[in-house]
Amino acid sequence: MVAIAVVNFHQIQETWWVTPFCVILFTGILCPAMGTLLITHKRLLQVNLISHCVLPGLALAVALGVSPSLGGVFSGLLGALAAEGLTNKKNENYEAIMNTILAGSLGLGVLLIPLLGIRIDLESVLFGDLLTANLGDLLRTIISFLAFICLILFGYEKLVHIGLDPEGAAESGIKVSYLNLALGLTTALVIVSSMSAIGVILVIALLSTPALLGLQQAPSLWVAMVRSSIFGIILSALGFLLAIVFNLSPGPLVAVLCILLIALLPSKRNN
Amino acid sequence: MACLVAENLSYSYSPKGQVALDHVSFEITTGTMTALVGPNGAGKSTLLGLLKGHRKPAKGEITIDGNPLMNGQSQVALMPQRSRLNWNFPITVEGLVALGRVNYSRSTCCELEAALQRVGISSLAKRRLDSLSGGQQQRALLAKTLMKPAKIFLLDEPCSSLDPPAREDFLLIMRQIADAGASVFISSHDWGASLNAYDKVVALDKTILASGTPELVKEKLDSISCMHGSYCGG
Repeated sequence: MVAIAVVNFHQIQETWWVTPFCVILFTGILCPAMGTLLITHKRLLQVNLISHCVLPGLALAVALGVSPSLGGVFSGLLGALAAEGLTNKKNENYEAIMNTILAGSLGLGVLLIPLLGIRIDLESVLFGDLLTANLGDLLRTIISFLAFICLILFGYEKLVHIGLDPEGAAESGIKVSYLNLALGLTTALVIVSSMSAIGVILVIALLSTPALLGLQQAPSLWVAMVRSSIFGIILSALGFLLAIVFNLSPGPLVAVLCILLIALLPSKRNN
Repeated sequence: MACLVAENLSYSYSPKGQVALDHVSFEITTGTMTALVGPNGAGKSTLLGLLKGHRKPAKGEITIDGNPLMNGQSQVALMPQRSRLNWNFPITVEGLVALGRVNYSRSTCCELEAALQRVGISSLAKRRLDSLSGGQQQRALLAKTLMKPAKIFLLDEPCSSLDPPAREDFLLIMRQIADAGASVFISSHDWGASLNAYDKVVALDKTILASGTPELVKEKLDSISCMHGSYCGG
């Protein structure tokens, strides 16, 4: 029985599109659900910072001979901590400082590649290279998916409270900074795992656009996350299909489709 | 009977900073509705934070039924200013109200229904929060506060964004809560005619300016220049 399963699995693997398709489907479920959580917590700018912070860690990891994903998650987490510190202080120049760090981190990553004498396909890191995704990429996506499920299972009510009233949540004894850190770590994992599917820069589109649609009239956060994921799956599958038909890069195509999806957003009603 | 007693409370946000509260003393009586009035920056929200135990006074003491506040903190519930909440968060009215018990115990349907009924929004239980009017949102926030097993309710400017009829309705609900035996302490910018709805008024501007019945406090306030500015309610 096991032998048949292994043979079937290898046969499936030989069909080149199965692994990339699974990666984009998981990414299509995960990113919009995560994005919904982040939008309701008003943390999209922090996400942008984390995604730009991934590259320096990735370059260092390649130079040190460790897994690039680990390096990416580590420097993404450092970005999350920097974002957390800046959010807590929240001075009037907060956005400008955040954007400077964001651009500087990307610049540092680009500079490290020649300085460390390493070879990194910058285009595939930043904009994805879905069609070459392998089982390792799929595994990374599944690990991030499990981390997200754990965050939701153990902290859903607290995350709702923090999103609704952060001060009130802290006053009622919820460890807001710990949960925000867990949120930052999960975000870093999600961004790194989306690297092959859509790239660390374009992932922001998949984090935000389906979430905006899913949030429309959703009676609760989890309903919004499920709806966002459904939009995300449709968007990802469509992007994958069109990329194959028209021989285009899937990552940028999904990002462009996100712009078209914004047209489906109802205009804000006036109260 | 005095339920909460504040004696000589002083507070400043930094050791060398300006004093936010200076020797503030007053009492909140069981089953009454007390207004805390004062201009912007008078220290109303700071005082409510001290009474809830979120901040510790630099000097002075707060007691509940003769015991230090620390021992009776769970008997005090605070309804925050509406600006603190993310009203676009995807949540229904009943979802918000249920969060009132998040750190105490799981709320039963009966408790939730009772809280919604007390504020008169049972029919809106399944509605999303951002689809409600300002007055209905305030009632939902009040229902969340009422979910806490407290006997002293502190409300931070609950009427600030309400039109006069909604304000009257809100104060009527608060009166029913006070009549049921709870102590209600409401901070407000409005020291006009609406003060008559309260049993007692405390006027604050870093220190207590006046305290007593609405008529008595209004008389005193008329003679205090700082209260004659644009904040005057009528």
